[in-house]
Amino acid sequence: MQTSLTDEHVEQKRAIANRVKTIVAIALSAVIIVSFFFPYIRFVFRDTSYPLTGLQLATVRGMMVYGPQMSGLVTIPLLTRIAVIAGVVLALAGIVLLLVRKPVWAGVAYILAGVTPLVSLITTSNIQTAVTSLNISEIEIQYLWPFLCTLAFGIAGAILSLWTQGTERLAQSIFKVFSCVSVGSVAVITIYIIVSGAPALAEIGVGNFLFGTEWEASSEIFGILPMILSSIVGTIGAIIIGVPVGLLTAIFLSETANPILAKIVRPAVELLAGIPSVIYGFFGMLVIVPAIRTFPPFQGHTTGDSLLAAIIILAIMVLPTIVNVSETALRAVPVSYREASLALGATPTTTIFKVTVPAAKSGILSGVILGVGRAIGETMAVIMVAGNVPNMPRLLGSVRFLTTGIAMEMSYSTGLHRQALFAIGLVLFVFIMIVNISFTYISKKGVQMDAN
Amino acid sequence: MPTNSLYCKHSRPKDTFLKVLINLAAGITVVVLVGILGYILVNGVPYITWQFISTPYSEMNPDQKGILPMIINTLYIVVITLLIAVPIGISSAIYLTQYAKQGRLVRSIRFTTEVLSGIPSIIFGLFGYTVFCILFRLQVSILAGCLTMAICILPTIVRTTEESLLSVPTSYKEGALALGAGKLRVILGIVLPCAMPGVLTAVILAVGRIVGESAALLFTSGIGYSMPRGFFRQIMTSGRTLTLHLYQTAREASTPDAMNIAFGTAAVLLILVFLLNCLTKVVTKAVKKG
Repeated sequence: MQTSLTDEHVEQKRAIANRVKTIVAIALSAVIIVSFFFPYIRFVFRDTSYPLTGLQLATVRGMMVYGPQMSGLVTIPLLTRIAVIAGVVLALAGIVLLLVRKPVWAGVAYILAGVTPLVSLITTSNIQTAVTSLNISEIEIQYLWPFLCTLAFGIAGAILSLWTQGTERLAQSIFKVFSCVSVGSVAVITIYIIVSGAPALAEIGVGNFLFGTEWEASSEIFGILPMILSSIVGTIGAIIIGVPVGLLTAIFLSETANPILAKIVRPAVELLAGIPSVIYGFFGMLVIVPAIRTFPPFQGHTTGDSLLAAIIILAIMVLPTIVNVSETALRAVPVSYREASLALGATPTTTIFKVTVPAAKSGILSGVILGVGRAIGETMAVIMVAGNVPNMPRLLGSVRFLTTGIAMEMSYSTGLHRQALFAIGLVLFVFIMIVNISFTYISKKGVQMDAN
Repeated sequence: MPTNSLYCKHSRPKDTFLKVLINLAAGITVVVLVGILGYILVNGVPYITWQFISTPYSEMNPDQKGILPMIINTLYIVVITLLIAVPIGISSAIYLTQYAKQGRLVRSIRFTTEVLSGIPSIIFGLFGYTVFCILFRLQVSILAGCLTMAICILPTIVRTTEESLLSVPTSYKEGALALGAGKLRVILGIVLPCAMPGVLTAVILAVGRIVGESAALLFTSGIGYSMPRGFFRQIMTSGRTLTLHLYQTAREASTPDAMNIAFGTAAVLLILVFLLNCLTKVVTKAVKKG
């Protein structure tokens, strides 16, 4: 008797709590709807300001703007109208869905309502461009409280309406939404890199862009073959130096070192991995570049800012990656392999190079690929030592990598020049994706091999 | 003694050679590190004074050569980025380890996390610039830099947290469930506290990444060096971190005095990185003991 009473009591309490949540959610969405009739956005010119309500944004054709030289009708983008209307409609839909007891769907509606201000934020930039094209530069777009209110209350409404389904359900939804952030960001990054890189590719022509050997921003000649080749040669050079040293260091750590020496080498590798790339660049700029300049056989042939300097710095930078991944791979080789080899009379050194290393092959290879990824994407260290002249790669010549090509000119570029830089970003992105996918492929293959 | 006796230790030139090579490689690694550390610290540490780290900087006025604004900017970026990325990262890790069943969603989350960790920071910079600075109209500001960095460090946090969540013994969870706790309470009350050291490691690693980052911040948080005049005002304006300060001063330094600023900044950065590295070790050790 007692327990059932308590249960009833709990049940009753829960029902009341749910009713409160529903009512609050409805009240919040009512605020969103009411705010539609209040100033949503304000255009501030030098001396005047025009507030527009959501209703006006959705219905008026545009604003007549009278500039000093030109005047014209600035239309409000269709997407902005849709977003503003959608915010209200979705809030209304949320109320209805709550009333007919479909809280999950109401939650979805509220989330979408909360997203609409972001859409209008993005799309109103067209207005700014349109006004600026009328030679009026002093325009500022301010967003007023209904904007924030739709954003915040939409999300709050979604949380409240999902909450009526119980805390567990709410928590799971929140975890799920957050875990999709990484998927969303990769999608958005891919889309934006393609969208902002494609126009330049179309305008310049893929062939001219990829295989053009000249980069002359002032006369709009954009060919990035020298940068592509420099990036590739630089990466290969770094790998040629970095892999033997890295692999041997990994062998030292996992196979031959006595514990005391390993205690010195391992933290050294860890610390190398943590040093910011700017510091590598700084060190290269002050030590390696002058060293190359004054190295007797090179003297007079180079300023020191060269592909060689970049290769040396990159080789140091990929070391920790290669050491760490290779060491893990070497340690994963079963002891029985080594024992079998030693029992057959092979020396420890032969065992390492004929048995352990081949067995750890796929792990070492994935370390190398990670190193390639790091080298090809490195910017700041390279920019400080490579000289940055877009020449064809020569060991002692000044070169520009894909990454440094972007970083060098981004700050002052405009128009097609800037689009061309984004197109370099696209090319780099494709390179990295190839590296990434081959990494995934190889590490998967390694897992399969180990399973066999 | 005959030379081919079983008891005689053969010296094989090839083996010796390879052994020497192995030791040489390990030696090179250590020497490179010591060289870089030594060079930067020897030249930079004498320049670190209280005045250096507590006064503002100005490109116009050569008397103002402190790095206080950069320290504050770096701090702002670290704190705000963590505030954004840590909840998202931990939630993702919880979802992946505690709720999700193997399926397309989980596979795509794992794949994208992998991809994100492989994207070079300059691409993040370009992306952050187009999306946060231009599209969301944040201009070149510290906030835009933080949002960009949050995506950068997300994979680190997700992966490290996930590992530590997985290492919590199932029996703990089962015990709590058997006592009648709901799933959420089990996660927040048992699993997450047990995995806390792992989460802490993730955070420290992320801080290291943020402190060392430069390419992603160059276009997003910019290279302003004004002294902060209030939190909200500062995060909406451009501000350089220590790394970008080093980059700018090193590239534009024409006088030895200007070079000293770069050396001082580099030394401060190295010391920070070193401290973070030690902190990671301490935490990992505590985990192993506990």
